[in-house]
Amino acid sequence: MGTGIAIWQVIILTIYSMYQIMDELTLQTSLSQPVWAGLIAGLVMGDIKTGLIIGGSLQLTVLGVGTFGGASKIDANSGTVMATAFAIGTGMRPEVAVAALGVPVASLMIQTDILARFANTFFQHRVDKMIDKEDYKGIERNYLYGVLPWTLSRGIPVFLALAFGGPFVRSAVTYMNANLDWLSNGLATAGALLPAVGFAILLRYLPVKKHWPYLILGFVITALMSTVYGNISLIGTTLAGMNKTFTTAFASLPMLGIALIGFALAAIEYNRASREMAKAENAPTKTTTTDNNIEEQDGEIHGDEI
Amino acid sequence: METKSKKNFEMTKKDFNQINRRSLFFNQWGWNYERMQGSGYLYILMPQLRKLYGDHTPELKSAMKMQNQFFNTSNFFNTIIQGIDIAIEEKEGASSIETVAGIKSGLMGPFAAIGDSIFAALVPAIMGAIAANMAVQGNAVGAFLWMAVNFVIMWFRWIQLRFAYNQGVNLVTALQGQLNALTDAATLLGVYVVGALAATMVNTKIIYVAHLGKMAVNFQDKIDMIMPKLIPALIVGAIYWMLGRKRMTSTRAIFIVIIVAVILSALGVLGKAV
Repeated sequence: MGTGIAIWQVIILTIYSMYQIMDELTLQTSLSQPVWAGLIAGLVMGDIKTGLIIGGSLQLTVLGVGTFGGASKIDANSGTVMATAFAIGTGMRPEVAVAALGVPVASLMIQTDILARFANTFFQHRVDKMIDKEDYKGIERNYLYGVLPWTLSRGIPVFLALAFGGPFVRSAVTYMNANLDWLSNGLATAGALLPAVGFAILLRYLPVKKHWPYLILGFVITALMSTVYGNISLIGTTLAGMNKTFTTAFASLPMLGIALIGFALAAIEYNRASREMAKAENAPTKTTTTDNNIEEQDGEIHGDEI
Repeated sequence: METKSKKNFEMTKKDFNQINRRSLFFNQWGWNYERMQGSGYLYILMPQLRKLYGDHTPELKSAMKMQNQFFNTSNFFNTIIQGIDIAIEEKEGASSIETVAGIKSGLMGPFAAIGDSIFAALVPAIMGAIAANMAVQGNAVGAFLWMAVNFVIMWFRWIQLRFAYNQGVNLVTALQGQLNALTDAATLLGVYVVGALAATMVNTKIIYVAHLGKMAVNFQDKIDMIMPKLIPALIVGAIYWMLGRKRMTSTRAIFIVIIVAVILSALGVLGKAV
């Protein structure tokens, strides 16, 4: 088709985008997350690294965007699929693809999500009728028909855009690279800035007022450590350039270490809070034997959360 | 009347598995604006309701009508409510239908809040941050790590049904304290992680260099002396403030950020850090 995206690639990506919304609704294996969308689209298009960069950037952008009570959110997943496919297919810079393609597509897809949720009301009414008719198989069948609006709401737009949008995107990319350098750089900057939105949204619903000291701790520990690690590896590279016998490679900042510090802080808080609650519970009324039983079961559940 | 409706039904291992399977694979397929997970709840319990009340009985019909009403809770906790529900219906038969309707609507709110904040927001935020952090460096390990965590969560979804069935209504009141402590600790971790992420994942810096005579003032260097990564922190703070304004949505905020970034970049103020 001359767009760098073959028809079999269009079909696989369409099928994936139809599957991902069902995964998001029920199983939630994380295959419906932008990182995975980037990985899969990258694999299909033959450039995993670009896929991961785009998927990772969009993942960070929507970190705090959740579906609460069935509200529609921006579909970063479909955005990732298209941005990755077009970035690899037309040779767009990944950072530019995030802001120029990923975000607009993701927000357009809010509309098809709403359409799917609306269309399912039709099947809900058919289930009502089947109950009156005592048609048990019919109830189950009509419930499962809900798969149609959901999958089509993602599959149709992704297919149409990938199959027919190529020439347009390609000519836009060529024009941008040749004549609109400022826009291309600006979009790359925007791509690098977008994760900040995800973090800000996350802070909006997290109890920042209660836990603000930990916000500062997380920021300062990471900022200082990343500067130290960054500078050490810079010294290492410089030394290696001056002296051929210097071969030591310095590792970059281990984010797992930073996360473990946070985990330790959370564990301390959990112990403190549950002790406080136990105290509050014991004070007014002595609870009976069932409590021991529950606590045992309960300990089991807590172990699974992390 | 009682004998007819009960039919000596008792939940078997097969029944538990069937409810769990339907919940894991088919929950929310029928989500709609009118009754949200309404018909989904009915679909998941359908085979057990038929065994419990018998086909073509008035009891089954009224049970089905009740179970088909408005319902919406967290994906991760819906079988807790179903476990409590089926325990009551099994014991009390058709006379419990109104009680069950009350319990359903009473529990779906609290469980939606706990479930959504832990499993739909915090876990994706923390695991997504780790996975994305690795992904932007071209490393796919984080994505697999996230999937592994989600399989553990699925297992948790699987075991909660029988637990709820055995504990009945006691469970909700007894667990409340522990769940609150857990939510508290988890949100603390969330706040901490956002702080860490702001310092590493917003890759931007001031590229403007002022020339005063022969002296060039590199603003980014001066800022780094005060506090490294101050610019990303200020940007997150500014967006946080912006999101608190009236009529601001996350999607709008994203577009505003793109436009402002393009303008500042074109003016040579802000750039992408390597």
